[in-house]
Formats: sequence, structure tokens, C-alpha cells
Amino acid sequence: MLAALLALVLLAATAEIVLDGALGHSALIPKSPDIAGWLGGIGERLGFRVFLIALLSFSGAYCGLLALAGTLSKRFAIVLLAALHLIVFAGPILISTDVFSYIAYARMGVEHGLNPYLGGPIEIAHDPIYRYVGQDWKHVATAYGPLYTLLSYPLAPLGVKGALWGMKLEALLASAATLALTWRCARKRDLNPVAAIVIVGANPLYILYGLGGAHNDLIMLALMMAAVAFTFSGRDGAAGATVVAGALVKATVAVLLPFMLLSRRRPASIFGAGAAVALAAVVGYGVFGVHGIDLIAALNRDAAFVSSDSFPTEIAHLLGKPGVFPVDHDLLKAALVLIVVHLLWRTWRGYDWVAASGWTLLAITVTSTWLLAWYTLWSLPLAVIARDRRLLYATLFVQALFIVHQTAPLLAPVQ
Amino acid sequence: MSDHAQPIEQRAFSRLPKWLRPRELEQEGTGRMRLIETTLLVLAAVLLAVATVDDVRLQTKINHRLIADLRTWRVHTGHDYHNLTVAQDMHGHTTREVVCGNTTPGAPKERVQICLVMTGPVSHGLRRVASGWYLPPRVEDLTGYRYGCFGPPAAGWPCPR
Repeated sequence: MLAALLALVLLAATAEIVLDGALGHSALIPKSPDIAGWLGGIGERLGFRVFLIALLSFSGAYCGLLALAGTLSKRFAIVLLAALHLIVFAGPILISTDVFSYIAYARMGVEHGLNPYLGGPIEIAHDPIYRYVGQDWKHVATAYGPLYTLLSYPLAPLGVKGALWGMKLEALLASAATLALTWRCARKRDLNPVAAIVIVGANPLYILYGLGGAHNDLIMLALMMAAVAFTFSGRDGAAGATVVAGALVKATVAVLLPFMLLSRRRPASIFGAGAAVALAAVVGYGVFGVHGIDLIAALNRDAAFVSSDSFPTEIAHLLGKPGVFPVDHDLLKAALVLIVVHLLWRTWRGYDWVAASGWTLLAITVTSTWLLAWYTLWSLPLAVIARDRRLLYATLFVQALFIVHQTAPLLAPVQ
Repeated sequence: MSDHAQPIEQRAFSRLPKWLRPRELEQEGTGRMRLIETTLLVLAAVLLAVATVDDVRLQTKINHRLIADLRTWRVHTGHDYHNLTVAQDMHGHTTREVVCGNTTPGAPKERVQICLVMTGPVSHGLRRVASGWYLPPRVEDLTGYRYGCFGPPAAGWPCPR
């Protein structure tokens, strides 16, 4: 009964955001082609106050569900997650303009014959997608891997609306795959699979920010969990190749590879990863040239960005500084290296490689000066299947802090 | 940890000292390593929590001040306009702000604009107007466009005419 009540709160909060968001552009809803206008007659334009109240309600109900996760039935969990996914799928793009950048890069390559690794969407300023690309990203070449860029190419000829629906469908399918693989991995480890998928799939940042923004992080997560599932089935070659495929969507997931190799110590992992790297290098170079395979350059560029939500920025403010300085970037990188070296050593000596990979992803999230909500999702599917429960508590704690940091507008007086 | 794994080939690492050899599973120890890690994690969590709450407090204070800036502009000009622009002192990191808006009804920045420099703490929802200037229509608040300056010059916002 209580679980049903909490589930209703999740659904109501999501529906409130989607229905209000369907009315169109606001501070939280990016300018977008009208894909959810048919939902627009019921709500009011989405403002910070309503959004934050819905987000906090969602988060509170999610905490309640976490406490009950061990008692939930399989049917309950699947119906709840399917309903949350469908509500978000039917609605507008929430909070982020990233999906329009994905489409712009695809259209640069397919419709205009341009290399998205060499220039930003500004080069197609006359294209109908351009007006929807975020201001900060108009001059920025794609930072995503060549596999993702190639995956997005078939959507380009569908027009802006068609491509947007395509991106939403990709995110939905990737999320479903992530949850199915999380279920499978939890069962392999004799953990409660229902609890595992509820913790991931009903997570407020996963649903509202990750799925709501149709972020390609969900595709990366699906490939990450596929790699873990392959390892659990003893298919080390496929696991190594799948991690590389994930890194060719978004490079971050490559951090799994050293932990997997150290723990498994199977030649097949190395051969699988090596073969995938070789294939990707040939295809990436053939299609995009040297810039398409230079993921390090893209990572270095993004590592220099600073967002107001990042923990280093918050700590800088706490210390009375206006923000992070170049020296802080070096200190953070040094801290991250220390953490990774410690985790590699622990993995070599028998620590759970899944947990070690999750800790590394969480450490990247916490030390990054460029933090967005969906980055806090990276370690979550690993955390629910890790042998070390501290990872799950730490991941949820970091997410909670991220949500708390959004609440400042609620505390200001009404204008 | 060894989900469906075969036992590892230990011979390859048998020449290594015992403490350097890889393990299939962690050895049951005294839990000292786990205790150290947990302590460090708790300390990190406290630091992040304090930094987050402090940043929310800071942001709330800034939001409170910006809302007072807008209200002050409306009270001083007698115009209940909502499309106002606020510029913060990003270089000097002071609490001084400049609020600009139209002097007559129209689209944002389409009329002669009046800019007010706000200083001091928020008192009864308002701030003190220290100085100001006018701007012609359809321009940004750049030094060269400012005219009809009044009040003492504000550091960081020179007003030449």
C-alpha cells in the first residue's frame, strides 16, 4: 500500500513536469520543435519553483521506495518503471539542449558533408536545427565517440522532428537495455534484481535529467552493463570489445577496462579490446580522419570547462575564492590519479573490479569541474551490483547533494 | 568476484613476492584498510556536504539581492517592467550591480534605457541606488554609449558623459 502511494507520487511529479514542460520554452525547457504540444492544454509554463517541488517530491518518494525495495514485486517494479519511461518519452526535452547538438552533428555529416570533429554547429547556421543548439556549444566540435556519431547519422535525414523522436527512442531503448542488463547482473551475483532496477530506473536524476534530456549517456551505460554481463558469463573477449564500444560512444566508460583486465587476467579480454580498438581506429579514421579517433583531445578540452554545480566550484566558494583556478585542475587530476592507483592496487589484490570501476566513475564525477546531473548516473548501475555497498551509499549521497544544490531558487523570496 | 571464472594461472606470478601476487578474492584481514577508506570517505562526504549547503546559502543570498535590485529599479523609475537586465560585478567580486530597463513601454532594449547602480545591503526588500546613466535604444551597456550620468562614478562602471 505504501509502495503504491510512493509510486503514485513519482508518477504525479513526473507528469507535472512533463505537462507543464509541454507548454513550451522556459528556463527549464529548451527551445524545441513542437513535439509535445498535444499535452500542452493542461499545465502551466514550467518554472523553477514547480520543478523543484516536483523534483523534491520525486526524490522523497524515491527514498521511501529504496527503503521498501527488498519487498517490491517484479510486476510492480516493471509497471512503475515502464510508466515513468513512457510519460517522459511522450513529453518535451527537459532541461538540456544536448540532444539538439547530437542532431546538429549528425546533420553536419549527412546533410552538409561536413566533419563534426572539425567544427561546431555554427558551420550549419542556415540549417533548421541550428536555432535549437545551446549558445555555449555553437562553436564546439563534437566530443562524442565515432560510434555514437555513426549511430546518430541515420536519424539526420528524418528532419528535425523525426531526428528528435529518433533520439528519444534511442534513449528509451538504451535505458530499457541498461535496466534489463542490471537485472541480469544482479541475479548473477545473487542480489535482489527488483531492488536493483528500481534503484536505477526510478532514480530522479536518471528519469528527469538522463531520460528527460535523451542523453547519450544512457547508451554508454547500456554498453557498460553489457560488458559487465559478458564478464559475468565468462565471455571476456566480448566484454573487452563492448567496453571499447562504450568508450566510442562516450570516452568516460573506458575506465572499466584496466580494472576488468587486472581482475580477470584473461588474454581474451585484451584481444577483444584490442580488436575493437583496431576496428574503431580504421573505421573512425576512414570516416572522420584523425580527429575522429583523438578522444583524448576532446576529453582534455572538456576537462577545462567549469560549471557552477561542480563540487570543486562549491569548495572554492567555501574557501572564499570566486571559482576554480588552473592550479586547482592540476590538484584535482592528481587526486584522481591517486584514487585510481589505489583502486588498481586493490583490484589486483582481489577487490571487486565492478566496485573499483564504479568508484573511479564516481571520483571523476566529484573531481570534475564540469558536472552535469547525468554524470552522477555513471556509477549508479555498477553500484547496485557491486560487492561493496559503500559505493551505492556514496553514489546516492553525491546525487542527493546535487539535488540540494539546485534548491536555491526555492529559498529566495517570490518576485 | 569470480563469476564463472576459471582459477587464475598462478604460476605466471609465482616469482613475485607474496604481497605483490594477484588474488582472486580479497583476503580476510583485520579490516584496517576498510576502516581507513571509510574514514576518508566520511571526511570527504562532510566536506562536500558543507560546501554544498554553504553554496546554497550563498546562492540564496545572491538571489535575494538580485530580486531586491529589480524591485528597487521598479520603485525608483515608477515602471513595473519585468524585462530588465542585471549585470554583476564579475571582476571586482563586489555586491554592486547595475540594472537596466526601458524608460518607456516597448520590447526589451528597444527604447532609451535607464541603468541604476545598486549598492549596500538589502533593507525592507530594497537596495540603495548609488548612481546611474542612460543608454540609447538597441545597445548593450558599454561605456561608450552611456550618457546623462548621475551620482558618484562607480568603480568598474565608468560613465564618461
